Amino acid sequence: MFRRQVASLSRLQHLQMSTNAAPAPTSTSASSGEAISEFRTAVTNPGEHSSLHVAKFYTIPVEQKKKIFGGGGLPKQYEQQIKTFQEACLMVRSPALELLHYIQNADLSKPAVRYVVYGANGVGKTLTMAHVLHYGSLNDFMLVHVPWVPNWMKRPKEAANSSTQEGFIDLPFDAAAWLVHFKTQNLKLLQQLDLKTSKEYVWSKRESTPAGSTLLELVEHGIARIKYASETTAALISEIKQLSNAGKCKTMVVIDGFNAFFHPETRIFSENKQRVTPDRITLTQPFLDITSYDWTNGICILSVDKIAMTEGYMASHMPRYLLGKEGFEHLDPFIPVHVENYTEKEFYNYISYYLDRRWINKTPPGFEEQLKFMSNKNPYELMQLVKSL
Amino acid sequence: MALRVFGLNLVKTNRSVLQNVCKTGATPTQQTVAPYATEVTVQASPAAVQKQKVSKAMKAYLKRANEHDEFMKTQHLEFQIGKRHLANMMGADPETFTQQDIDEAIEYLFPSGLFDKKARPAMKSPDEVFPARKAAEFDETGRPFHSMFYTGNPNFFQLLHDIVQETNKIHELEERLLRRGNTPDENQKLDTTGFQLMPKDQLELLLVESIADIEYSNFVNSMERLIALPYAYKSKEFIERFLKPLMDQSKQLEIPKPRIDEQGRQYITTYECLRKTARADVTVRMPGTGKISINGQDIFYFPEEKCREQLLFPLQFSQMLGKVDIEANVEGGGPSGQSGAIRWGIAMSLRSFVDQEMIESMRLAGLLTRDYRIRERKKFGQEGARRKYTWKKR
Repeated sequence: MFRRQVASLSRLQHLQMSTNAAPAPTSTSASSGEAISEFRTAVTNPGEHSSLHVAKFYTIPVEQKKKIFGGGGLPKQYEQQIKTFQEACLMVRSPALELLHYIQNADLSKPAVRYVVYGANGVGKTLTMAHVLHYGSLNDFMLVHVPWVPNWMKRPKEAANSSTQEGFIDLPFDAAAWLVHFKTQNLKLLQQLDLKTSKEYVWSKRESTPAGSTLLELVEHGIARIKYASETTAALISEIKQLSNAGKCKTMVVIDGFNAFFHPETRIFSENKQRVTPDRITLTQPFLDITSYDWTNGICILSVDKIAMTEGYMASHMPRYLLGKEGFEHLDPFIPVHVENYTEKEFYNYISYYLDRRWINKTPPGFEEQLKFMSNKNPYELMQLVKSL
Repeated sequence: MALRVFGLNLVKTNRSVLQNVCKTGATPTQQTVAPYATEVTVQASPAAVQKQKVSKAMKAYLKRANEHDEFMKTQHLEFQIGKRHLANMMGADPETFTQQDIDEAIEYLFPSGLFDKKARPAMKSPDEVFPARKAAEFDETGRPFHSMFYTGNPNFFQLLHDIVQETNKIHELEERLLRRGNTPDENQKLDTTGFQLMPKDQLELLLVESIADIEYSNFVNSMERLIALPYAYKSKEFIERFLKPLMDQSKQLEIPKPRIDEQGRQYITTYECLRKTARADVTVRMPGTGKISINGQDIFYFPEEKCREQLLFPLQFSQMLGKVDIEANVEGGGPSGQSGAIRWGIAMSLRSFVDQEMIESMRLAGLLTRDYRIRERKKFGQEGARRKYTWKKR
């Protein structure tokens, strides 16, 4: 019914399009710096964002976006939207500001603080983390970023038995892909800082990485020798932890869908055709190590997500339920950060952004109210609903 | 009910009286129900039969009428006994046991899951169960009373005749008044808006004759011609006998007055909102901010877009979106049934907060109409309710 009414007015809208065309170019030229719309902010450094910029859009420069989110980190549909709109815009929202505030005022010499981002489906947990990730990248944090853990547990590219650990499963391609992602995110830091391995890693009879070689060499070895990618990942993470402890670098761990590490089962089958549990996967342990509190110069931002679970384990979005007893005890104590649906202001700003991008073409009277009712101000639902307008 | 006329002589001497009785009905109560359906049993006394020759048709009729009378008498008796039994069973006073009590008792004692109400057990007065029959249309010599007896439908053609007579009367009157220079009174003009002519099935009941479609259209045409006359108000009484008022539904339904809750807000709760197998109760609070809670959840109780649109429609139609808060409890059925039930509940509750004009347009939009459609059963030998198995030659 809703759609039909919108459609009936679409013809009218075409007539109005010509009149709308006049003011539109001024708003689209915001990026050139002439006039800035009400819903945008020119401050592109997340470190400078404050409550003044709440509900406003800032643009991530193209090369930075490519560097940070080249290997994932933004939801797929949001990526598509970015491609359509020709600009990577993020809205400054209060959960991200809260996190940034904590991080800016954190004492890094104290044990690593864990932040757990949680919220219902589609409220913007990943984008909140993307905002923080952008901050970390600009402020010389070594980024240990896993875009979506369930990808490893639900649909790995390949699963192989581990050669070093009996009864464990390696995910060589996924581990190598992560190493590539790590390298693109931190290439500058890896080249600049004096980061050396603390011990020799022997991969096989002929291959080894000697102590004192750079981390970049370690990573590149893992990428080149996919067979050892999982072990390289483990080695890399333990090295980063040691280096952070030594104060040689500061590290930001960002893991989306962290609760997948504590899911009762994965979709990977072992040799005897049994489903394996996440703790039997070699990638799990290093990421659990780096999210514990026994190191300094680090920040952990973890998200727990209903979608990271499988059917039957999706009753609630609260951390205690999603992490389970074991996971909760692993993270305890942590700082919870609740992400909620849009506020009124955020909602209307998003609508104006869509109008500005000419993504919404049909604007019968009261369409905002209808969208608000239909989406309940949920970001993801709003995105889905306006697709057809 | 039956008027018994004893003695053939009486019949013979007062034939004109009898004719009148036949036409207009025996008793005043009968007249209101069906003035054309009278039961007149002409009972011939043995002495008279010897004197006067009685036609075979009359003899057959008398026999039939006697049988019918006997039958009705026993039926009445049985009904009375049954009623007393029922009253005793229900522990009520048999003397004051009404038809409504009977219906309730039957529904209680013989609960039926049959869909059609006509198919369920019932106990009614024999007068209702057995339709009224025409009285004797001819005298003992076989000569019909009515001049239009041989048309087959004397009552119907008499009616057409009456209509034309009324029309002619008005024409004459018009001519007379025109000569005097009078014009019809505008204030007294016959207003038939909100009325319709008696439908065919009701007319048939009234006439105790079955009429063809074309005959009914003849009736309609001649009535319309009569009503259209400028002096039609002169025969208002006659016309009104064949008019039925059209019901304005939304005026009829009583709109509940909103109550006040603890926060001083007006609220209306609609219970028994039904759609398919879902049932809901919906509370609408005014003023509100557009909050909605369904079984304690937000609107994402319905993950499907179409279901949420169902809830949106009454609010958007009545322009109350964002002005009221809604709470609903719903159970049974699937998502579309549940959303339909809540939609109806919202629309019904909103009546208390909008003006009469909006209620009428809501009714016309079908928002206030209960949707009675339910799932159709699967038939054996068929794939579904209607679909047949794929036909295969062998």
